[in-house]
Amino acid sequence: MTKKTRNFVLASGAILAVGLTTGLVASFMGLPVSVFSRAAGPDELQYVPADAAVVAYADVRQVMNSEFRERFRRIEPDTRERDEFERQTGVNIEEDIHSVVAAVMPRPEGDRARGPEQSILVLARGRFEQGRIERLALDHGGTVEQYNGATLVTTRDEHTDAPEMALGFLAADLIAFGTYDAIKNAVDAGRGAANVASNTDLMRQIGELDGSSAWAVGRFDTLTRSARLPNELQERLPALTWFSVSGHVNGGVRGVFKAEARDEEAAQNMRDVLQGFLALGRLQAGSNPAVRQMIDSLQLSGEGTSITLGFSVPTEVLDALEALAQAHQGAAVPRP
Amino acid sequence: MTFWTAARRVFDLSLGEMLWSRRTIFMALVVGGPVLLAVIMRIVEAFGLPALRVNGQRVQGMQVFGVMIWMLFLRFIVPVLGVFYGTALMADEVEDKTITYLFTRPIPRGAVLVGKYLAYLVCTALVVLPSVMIVYFLVVPFGQIPGTFRHLVTDLGLLGLGLAAYGAVFAFVGAAFKRPLVIGLVFAFGWEQVALALPGYLKQFTLAFYLQALVPHAMPQEGVVSLLQGLFREAPGAWTAMGWLAVYVVSFLYLAARVVERREYVLEQ
Repeated sequence: MTKKTRNFVLASGAILAVGLTTGLVASFMGLPVSVFSRAAGPDELQYVPADAAVVAYADVRQVMNSEFRERFRRIEPDTRERDEFERQTGVNIEEDIHSVVAAVMPRPEGDRARGPEQSILVLARGRFEQGRIERLALDHGGTVEQYNGATLVTTRDEHTDAPEMALGFLAADLIAFGTYDAIKNAVDAGRGAANVASNTDLMRQIGELDGSSAWAVGRFDTLTRSARLPNELQERLPALTWFSVSGHVNGGVRGVFKAEARDEEAAQNMRDVLQGFLALGRLQAGSNPAVRQMIDSLQLSGEGTSITLGFSVPTEVLDALEALAQAHQGAAVPRP
Repeated sequence: MTFWTAARRVFDLSLGEMLWSRRTIFMALVVGGPVLLAVIMRIVEAFGLPALRVNGQRVQGMQVFGVMIWMLFLRFIVPVLGVFYGTALMADEVEDKTITYLFTRPIPRGAVLVGKYLAYLVCTALVVLPSVMIVYFLVVPFGQIPGTFRHLVTDLGLLGLGLAAYGAVFAFVGAAFKRPLVIGLVFAFGWEQVALALPGYLKQFTLAFYLQALVPHAMPQEGVVSLLQGLFREAPGAWTAMGWLAVYVVSFLYLAARVVERREYVLEQ
């Protein structure tokens, strides 16, 4: 074998060896995505703890700048509450918030006292006047403290004086809102503790949704376990493991719902049920062309354990809804 | 000299010849196509745009990779390489009038074919498999690697098996027939396509029938031929398919070696 041939064999073998080793390491030990490329999903995910059951994201700027939002702005009754919020906090929701990430944490086993609102963490990226918000909190009996390099504005329980809800300033343009413990966990996750980027299964699901205006992905079984549903109801729920919803907003709304069932039989049952609902919807749509068009846009597919339902709300349907809302508003205004 | 020592000597000699022949330029071009597509796809994705959409929905990287493996590699590249290299194993020596030098050596004639066949297998695998690896890492997002890696390993094994099976069949064609290239092309892109689309047992006389049974990705349904194949699809089990492919490899290699042992090659003056 000549030197040239040997070099070629070594180079080809090296490519194969590096690829196989990378894949094996990723499969058995989890892949630190950021080593090779930007992690899937928004940067805020580094503040979401690794055990999150559901993660959702919305590109607020994209939604606010869309024709879809413009339609709703036209039929909005008044903006008094929003204006009051801006006057107090200095935050214009339409212009100052760029994106929002929300996460739902699973309820610990046996914890029956914690309500669902206590499992939610909201991260908002945008422009915030930290000093103004801190002053507002202090005026209303809140406290300000430092935790692991982040400023936390906390409200306290009236009876026990224990920290309750908190607002954390994680970076110059990033705030977190949730329970005191949730915010502390978010700060820790951002400072090197295990965050959702190390949750390979969840990141795989998020990776498939990247690029949408808004999405949500989560473990259905964990969520139903945390929801404290009666056993009878839990048994009747579809046997789903993962679900995700993603949408793209512009003139209309286009999106896709995906779910993974526990086994192929459960997936087939779910597809059959959805198919039945679609048929019923088509029957009910009758001669209403806008509704008919929306029902027709629903596309059910999937194979094996996956179920996919694509949907689209075209501009014609929104036109019809807008006309309906305007007629309703016109009827509500008393004639002079 | 034993059969296998002789085969190893021929392998050493032939590997370099094959790697640096004009055929390798053709192979690089064929295999470079999917890599180029993957690079373009990666660049488009880097700009935040979906590289491929079907019915308005973004096609995921693993699905694109699955289609590339199915449509480009298994249905086109592997048979093409099998035809061009397999049929040339003996035919090139005859055409170049160098077969005499090999046959006058004190080695079994069959070892010449087996050595050359092994060189073909290593040569094509060294080009095709790394290119598949590159395509995989370009097309599939890193976040999806843990969940999809076993598909890649299956694909690599499948491509190796495909190269071995097509190579063995076409090595026999090259050893036994005149104008082997034409026969090979007719078999790979005529007979196999037609037989797969027909109902009945004819498809069992194709290699693609057994290879498609091992593909871990869903068979794409685009195109009339694929739809027809889907309708008449009777996929054998994985072990049955692998067993039959192994039978094809051993049988055709044996037949090819036997033909080379017995045939009198008359060199045209």
